[in-house]
Amino acid sequence: MGMTKDQLLAIKDETLKKQPASWIRVGYSTCGVAAGAKEVYEVLCEEIKARNLTLEIKKCGCVGLCSAEPLVEVNVEGAPRVFYGKVNKEIAHKIMDEHVSQKKLVDGHIYDI
Amino acid sequence: MKRILIQDTNGELKKVLREFSVSFKSQLQDRGLSGQAQVVVVSDIGVYNKGIVAKILPEGFIYINLDNAHIADIIEKTVLKGEKIDAIALDKKNKQLRIVLRNCGIIDPESIEDYIAVNGYQGIARALELGPEKVIEDMKKSGLRGRGGAGFPTWLKWNLARNVKADEKFIICNGDEGDPGAYMDRSVLEGDPHSVIEGLMIGGLATGATRGFFYIRAEYPLAIQRIQKAIDVAYSKGLLGKNILGSNFNFDVEIRLGAGAFVCGEETALIASIEGLRGYPRPRPPFPTTKGLWGKPTVINNVETLANVSYVLFKGGEEFGKIGTEGSKGTKVFALTGKVRNSGLVEVPMGISLREIVFDIGGGVLDNRKIKAIQTGGPSGGVIPEHFFDTPVEYETLQKLGSIMGSGGMIVMDENDCMVDISKFYLGFCVDESCGKCAPCRIGGMEMLLLLKKIAQGKGVAEDLTKLSEIAEAMQKASLCGLGQTAPNPVISTLKYFMDEYKAHVFDKKCPSAKCASLVTYSINKEECTGCGMCSRVCPVIAITGSRQDKYAIDKVKCISCGQCFEVCKFKSVVRQ
Ligand SMILES: Cc1cc2nc3c(=O)[nH]c(=O)nc-3n(C[C@H](O)[C@H](O)[C@H](O)COP(=O)(O)O)c2cc1C
Repeated sequence: MGMTKDQLLAIKDETLKKQPASWIRVGYSTCGVAAGAKEVYEVLCEEIKARNLTLEIKKCGCVGLCSAEPLVEVNVEGAPRVFYGKVNKEIAHKIMDEHVSQKKLVDGHIYDI
Repeated sequence: MKRILIQDTNGELKKVLREFSVSFKSQLQDRGLSGQAQVVVVSDIGVYNKGIVAKILPEGFIYINLDNAHIADIIEKTVLKGEKIDAIALDKKNKQLRIVLRNCGIIDPESIEDYIAVNGYQGIARALELGPEKVIEDMKKSGLRGRGGAGFPTWLKWNLARNVKADEKFIICNGDEGDPGAYMDRSVLEGDPHSVIEGLMIGGLATGATRGFFYIRAEYPLAIQRIQKAIDVAYSKGLLGKNILGSNFNFDVEIRLGAGAFVCGEETALIASIEGLRGYPRPRPPFPTTKGLWGKPTVINNVETLANVSYVLFKGGEEFGKIGTEGSKGTKVFALTGKVRNSGLVEVPMGISLREIVFDIGGGVLDNRKIKAIQTGGPSGGVIPEHFFDTPVEYETLQKLGSIMGSGGMIVMDENDCMVDISKFYLGFCVDESCGKCAPCRIGGMEMLLLLKKIAQGKGVAEDLTKLSEIAEAMQKASLCGLGQTAPNPVISTLKYFMDEYKAHVFDKKCPSAKCASLVTYSINKEECTGCGMCSRVCPVIAITGSRQDKYAIDKVKCISCGQCFEVCKFKSVVRQ
């Protein structure tokens, strides 16, 4: 037996309640993957684990800025929410070091359009 | 803490920009404000040709044409007090509007909870409360027209299928997406699969179809994987299958793979393909809404259409109908590519001008070259020259210009693109993809292609131009399906707007854009040549030899006129004629 509309709305409320304050989204559509999103995602996951952070990381679709893939959107408390574009391993480490840990935006890779 | 984002640039401004950011940092430091504001150089703020551009967060003020003299003022007013300095501020409006792409890049496409959290499956819930007739009424109010190319009103198609009596009906999501350069549908399938499934369910409810199919090309493995996962989890939650949301509505969904033939995007060929037959189109009528898959009434809708449907039913048709223009409602997603600075997907309200799309959203042409035209609608569409760029984007206006909205490919072309070459490319695509069933498309397309090749080689005669138009007309009138009927469009529109380029090829034996290899020759001006040898290194056919003392020379027999030496020579000593 399927769910009812009330159950649907309950799932919505529950999911919204669980939404974390700090998160990272990685563009993980064909355009992102082709540009190297997999490697970036793995680096970010390792870093989160190594630093023991309570930070949600999510694979998402394409926001449309395909020429700047791999795109990583970062929203952590204490810093503005931004997109980093053309991210590689090295920049991914920098994002964790500077943005996530020190709340400093990383120079040279933000796409704000 | 304030953040001062400074937009990076290339070329002359680069040095000025560096000084500006260093100076900004030191002035902050001098005033003991380093801990309160961070200066960051960023790749893009989306404002171009306005000198040094900065954005201040969290306020979001954008300042333009800046120089060092502004720094003290910005620190004083904006950094310290959060005030806006009107004299240097730019009000940047966001010209995009996201309905189809509303969740793409925001939710995890593999999580149904994520989709439900952004009001997912509430469209079907509302549709079930309304019942089929009211759903169609609501769709009529929305004014939504098909996004697969032809722009047929969705409610009308649904109503046609609804009014046919049959023991079984089907609805198909057309995810074949064969236009070269277009990938909107792939992005939606990959980024928000549940929204398309929900749209398909609503269509099923409205028309009386109890089985739905996704027809997706096998070249889209990630899209297929995500749709399959979404279907599986929707079943496990009881959102697909029997008695959906406690109603008596039953609906099943499965995926069928296409092998990547362009013609299989045409609805009758698509149906044949699903039936396991060869992907041949057949004459219409009967239309699929009366006699479709396995002879039963069948509705075929495009991916983007269905992603709109779930939104319409959640928000209400009237709300949706407020967006866009009288005859073209809602938004359109375009895959903006070619010689444009920011290539990618854009979603804009109908009625926006082509100029706004290319310049305000796309950031204009690469390398500041002169823009020539824009191609919309892929191989079924046409080119629109620059002097029509203020035209609003609507189904009818684009058609009047000799192009079409199409599925949403939009390719920007600059002065280096040759219109004969472009026609040859698109027509060549259709000749490759022609299924061969009807003669006008099979023979006409090939004949036109041979004529274009002849013209591009400088062997064309005046008569060839009239022949092109004649065959084009015959193909439009006599071809069996949309492929052949529309294949000549790129040729017709370039003939209409760029006849001078065709004439240059035919009468002067010249390619004005220096694209057609047979009509350009390259040589090296020995006076100017520095003997650096770059040309020799890039030449793919070893046609350039020489040395630092003797300078370099091109062997005309070996040269294939690829132009790589021309591009690479820093001293402009390679001559193109
Ligand atoms: C040669 C040819 C290729 C087509 N390819 C596609 C396609 O890839 N995707 C699509 O949605 N419609 C395609 N169409 C249009 C479909 O036949 C059909 O009109 C459309 O899927 C209907 O959906 P809509 O009413 O939602 O636009 C193609 C038509 C032709 C003639």
